[in-house]
Amino acid sequence: MSISQEEVRRVSMLARLEIDEGEIASLTRHFQEILQYFNSLQELDLEGINPFVMEGVEGTPWREDRAVQWDGRSEVLSGSPRREEDFFMVPSILGEEG
Amino acid sequence: MSSHGLSASEIARKVRAREFSVTEIVIDSLERIGSLDGTLNAMITIERDRALERAAKLDSALASGEGPGPMTGVPVIVKDNMCTRGIPTTCASRILSDWKPPYNAAVVEDLEKAGAVILGKSNMDEFAMGSSTEHSAYGPCRNPWDTTRVPGGSSGGSAAAVAAGYVPIALGSDTGGSIRQPASLCGIYGLKPTYGLISRYGLIAFASSLDQIGPFARTVEDLALSLNVLARPDRKDSTCSSSERPDYLDFLKVGSLSGKKVGIVREFRDYDLHEDISRGVEKVLRILQNAGAVIEEVSLPVTMTSGLGAYYIIAPAEASSNLARYDGVRYGLSEEAEDLLSLYLKTRKAGFGTEVKRRILTGTYVLSSGYYDAYYLTAQKVRQIITREFTEAFSRVHTLIMPTSPSPAFRIGELVDDPIHMYMMDVFTLPVNLAGLPGLSVNGGYTSEGLPVGVQMVGPRWGEGEILSMAGVLERELGPARIAPGGLADEN
Repeated sequence: MSISQEEVRRVSMLARLEIDEGEIASLTRHFQEILQYFNSLQELDLEGINPFVMEGVEGTPWREDRAVQWDGRSEVLSGSPRREEDFFMVPSILGEEG
Repeated sequence: MSSHGLSASEIARKVRAREFSVTEIVIDSLERIGSLDGTLNAMITIERDRALERAAKLDSALASGEGPGPMTGVPVIVKDNMCTRGIPTTCASRILSDWKPPYNAAVVEDLEKAGAVILGKSNMDEFAMGSSTEHSAYGPCRNPWDTTRVPGGSSGGSAAAVAAGYVPIALGSDTGGSIRQPASLCGIYGLKPTYGLISRYGLIAFASSLDQIGPFARTVEDLALSLNVLARPDRKDSTCSSSERPDYLDFLKVGSLSGKKVGIVREFRDYDLHEDISRGVEKVLRILQNAGAVIEEVSLPVTMTSGLGAYYIIAPAEASSNLARYDGVRYGLSEEAEDLLSLYLKTRKAGFGTEVKRRILTGTYVLSSGYYDAYYLTAQKVRQIITREFTEAFSRVHTLIMPTSPSPAFRIGELVDDPIHMYMMDVFTLPVNLAGLPGLSVNGGYTSEGLPVGVQMVGPRWGEGEILSMAGVLERELGPARIAPGGLADEN
């Protein structure tokens, strides 16, 4: 499997992570190298293996769904870079493409 | 008289016996940090005033007859990816540089409840991604045995802090070797417990199906003491086991290993190992054998050939998902932008370092439409085979022995531009995370240049006790971990 520079640009948009044009070539090379390691995996016989069940791992422990009072609300809000009263502020959303 | 170099268990005993006050202990530790950390850079945040204030409180509680906890007076350091209420928690990233968590991680609560005094937060690879503690927004941490070399990573600051004698116990987190590899490079003990043994509530997530918190220490007794304090069910972490934990100190009473079988993993010999590391493994095997253990060769063929490939699909995939939360809106760094999309793009560009970006992009790629089945699902299936290989091995032996890292500490800058080579540093540790098992790095001697050599012991799920027993037998032969000079020429 190989990967193109165009794909690296597409992935950076998906990840909401801007990268400089100058970084694209080295990132593409990095992807190729990682995927080379991956190639050996595809030679294994994986027939009938459930990828979602970890053997020997106990299931998710259940607990009662009980409301607990928490006093950290104002501390959470005070960590916000832009805030108006009890709301997080963001720049304009409408009219944007992407 | 200085308390420098005492183990946590000794400190707790001496504080109980009033040989030292908590304040004296904390001052000694802070002085050690003050004299060495300008060179080592193991710390991101030092909470001097807070620690002294807490020490004074503990002293007055003791004076008024209050019963001490199992760690009363023990100074500890916590990796900077564990939340500490009101104390900066940066993950060594620009994106969290000003962030103060509104709550404590479960392990922080547990340490304090046991009477420990947190002195500060340790340096690390950004978001725990790395094997050298060079990928830090706060500059590289240095190895206390040779300050031109790395301490390993990602929990390099915690490892260096314990090795250099800042504190007897520090916490790290281990996603693919981030406790064991730096323990190995710094010549101390580093334990990654079974997935689900210790609550991760308040640990900033990297790869949630792999991350686990664990202790660094210079004695096996201190590891057991740490587990006694930290291992418990927690309703705030749904992956934390609800089973009762044993008293881990009980496992140290074992004197003989007769009836115990130790597996030596055959495939590690196929790797290009530093000869002193092979020698370290042989030395550990010999001691275990002399103590009565039977050594048997064990094979983990898929694990040793495909572990790395599976890990570098699964870990970045989970990281790309976990790190999506850093968006410049609710906390952390936020760049000025005209619209929401630009806010995300610019903030994340400015906030994350090179290695974190690499992993986010790799993870986003393997999870993206059209590739998910080919990469992520295949890697998860391989993970099942790896787990089965370990299960099969543990039906025959009680523990497995292999190197922790293929090489001793490398020079700062040597691998930083060669990510794949850097990833290879975790080739023996990351399969243990994929299978959710406990692994301990113990010191197996030193190279001719005086660099520590680590040997890894791996146990079955919940097999911490078994590993601690064997490590205890080793320690009686080899002695506790030595304290490193930390850049001071006149010591050691």
